[in-house]
Amino acid sequence: MGMSQAEDWVLLAYRLPRVPSTPRSAVWRKLKRLGVAQLGDGLVALPADPRTREQLEWVAEEVTDHGGEATLWLGRPLDANTRSAVVSRMTAAVAAEYDAVAAEAAAVRTADAAARRRAVARLRRELHRIAARDFFTCPQRETARDAVEYLAAADTAGAHT
Amino acid sequence: MKWATRPGVHVDRAACAWLIRRFVDPDAEFVFPADPATIPPGATPFDMRGTPLGHHQGRCSFETALEAFGLDADPALEEIGHIVHEADLADERYDAPAAVGLDVLIRGLTLTSDSDHDTLAVTGRLFDGLYEHTRRQLITGRPPA
Repeated sequence: MGMSQAEDWVLLAYRLPRVPSTPRSAVWRKLKRLGVAQLGDGLVALPADPRTREQLEWVAEEVTDHGGEATLWLGRPLDANTRSAVVSRMTAAVAAEYDAVAAEAAAVRTADAAARRRAVARLRRELHRIAARDFFTCPQRETARDAVEYLAAADTAGAHT
Repeated sequence: MKWATRPGVHVDRAACAWLIRRFVDPDAEFVFPADPATIPPGATPFDMRGTPLGHHQGRCSFETALEAFGLDADPALEEIGHIVHEADLADERYDAPAAVGLDVLIRGLTLTSDSDHDTLAVTGRLFDGLYEHTRRQLITGRPPA
């Protein structure tokens, strides 16, 4: 890994029958949760590491289990612009998710203590979910985390004084 | 018997290996071919794509193995199945808070292990403990002190 090295991507090319639609949407939900970049119809990519390779391998297995076709590839874009366009798209997607968390945390600041505690628990879980697909350490992560931890700190400080 | 899985074992493969050695084949010998095409003849693959003991119907390989080995009536193993599922897939199908810690511990372990055999020696002990803890908790309804 590292920015100086050419970085490989793992690509999943897949095709699933249009009907039944349940496996198609299950596969798509899974891919979205993994934070894939969609490069084309039935072609998605993730920065390659052992974990993302395995994740896409199992999605491929699910596709073939449902009568579809799936192949996995390792590759990299030939030019830097393509890479940065894909990376910006992926980063913008997680940034929007982080912003939503920060906004929610700000919105419950004036709520009662019980509502704030519930929000902290929920938003922390949400941050973990988002962080799992934040491959490029998007700066909004820190902002969102601070907003949630600020809520938590306000409450635990209150409990001890 | 010989059993084959991918190298660089993580939680699902470690859990399967523990299950095999403890409940199925005490003399199990594990090999780690990088390519499914090089599985030695006679070895049973697990947690490898395109094989029966893999991810199927939304389940991780350990859950598939529990059913394949007829061990799914053991509630402690079922509970460990939920933990391994969440550690491996994190799709929130199950409420398994231990999963996050298990994932981190085994990932860290693989970073410092000399070999997959070395990893499995430690994870075997971890899963022995997790099984005992889960079993006792199911009996008393409370986490063992």
